[in-house]
Amino acid sequence: MSELLIRFQALPDTLATTPILAIGLTLGAFFVGNWLFSRVGRPLWLPPVVLSACLLSGVIAILAVDYHDYQQGARWLTVLLGPATVALGIPLYQQMHHIRAMWRPIVVTLPIAATMAAVYAVVIGWALGATPEVLASLAPKSVTAPIAIGITEQLGGSVPLMMGGLLITGVVATLFVDLLARLLPVTDERILGFALGLNGHAIGTARAFEISHTAGAFASLGMGLTGVFTALMLPLVFRL
Amino acid sequence: MSMLRGFLVLVLFFILGESVRLLLALPVSGGVLGMVVITFTLMLKGSVSDDLALASQGLISVLVLLIMPGVVGVFFTADQFSGQWLAVAAALLVGTFLSVLTTLVLMKLVTTRGVSDRE
Repeated sequence: MSELLIRFQALPDTLATTPILAIGLTLGAFFVGNWLFSRVGRPLWLPPVVLSACLLSGVIAILAVDYHDYQQGARWLTVLLGPATVALGIPLYQQMHHIRAMWRPIVVTLPIAATMAAVYAVVIGWALGATPEVLASLAPKSVTAPIAIGITEQLGGSVPLMMGGLLITGVVATLFVDLLARLLPVTDERILGFALGLNGHAIGTARAFEISHTAGAFASLGMGLTGVFTALMLPLVFRL
Repeated sequence: MSMLRGFLVLVLFFILGESVRLLLALPVSGGVLGMVVITFTLMLKGSVSDDLALASQGLISVLVLLIMPGVVGVFFTADQFSGQWLAVAAALLVGTFLSVLTTLVLMKLVTTRGVSDRE
C-alpha cells in the first residue's frame, strides 16, 4: 500500500519527463479559464488569459512539477508562435482598405505614439532605478505577445516579466481609453479603436470589438502596425 | 487538409523570415520579418486563398494558448526582480496613461484638422 503511495507521489515528475503533461495542463487550463471567464460575466479587468495562467501556475505548484521541465515540454506549443506571428499579416492585409482611407492620421500618429509608448515606460523605469534587463522587458509592453516575445529575446530582457507587464498594460490601457475618451472628449470610434489596439494590443482589441466592428478593425490595425513598427525600431535603438 | 496547406504556407514564410534574419544578422525576429513579407506578397497578389485565411484564423484564435507558458513564468521567476516592483508598476501604470493620452490627442488633432470641424 505504501509503495503505491510512493509511486503515486512520483507520478507528476515521471510524467513531466515527456512533453505530454505540459501540453495537457496548458490545454486544460486554457479551456477552464475560458469557461470561468464567461461564468463570471466577461469582466473587462480580468481577461481569460489571466484566469488561465493563474490556474495553470496553481496546478504546476500543487503537482510540484519543476517549472523548467514544464517550460521544456511546453515548447511543443510555443514553437507555433513563429507561424502565428506570420499569420497576423493576413488580417493586416485584409484591412488594407482601412489604412488607405485614413492613411494621413495613421502615418502621423503611429510612429510617435508607438515610440512614446516604449519611451515613457523605459524613462520612468530608469528614473526609478530599474536594471537594464527589466527595462528591456518593459520596452515592448504595448506590443502583441508573439511579436513582443521576439523583441524581448533580441533585447536581452526577461520573457516572463515582459508577459506580466504586457497583461497589465492591456488591462489598464482599456480602462484609460474609456476614461480619457470621456474627459477629452473623443467619440470617433475609429480613433478609440486605434488607440485601444496601439496601446492595449490584443486585450484592447478585444474591448474594441465590443464597442463596434469598425472600432475592432481599427484596433487590429493599430495592434498590427505597432507590432511591426516597434519590432523594427526597438532593437535598432537599443543597440545604440 | 486545406487548413494544413495554409499552415504550410505560414511555416514556409516563417522559415524564410528566420533565414533572412540569420543571413543578414538582423535584430528583428523571424516571425515579424515573415509577417512583413507575407503582407507585401498578398498586396502584390491582390487576394488571399481560403486555405491561408483559415489557417491564420485558427492560429490567431489560439494565440492565448501559445503565450500561456510564458505568462506562467511570472509566478516562478518573480523573486528575481524583487526591489524593482515600484519601478515596474510606475512604468506600466503611468507610462500607459501617458501613451493613451498621446495617441488620443494626436489622432484627434490630425483628423479634425483635415476634415472641417462639424461641431
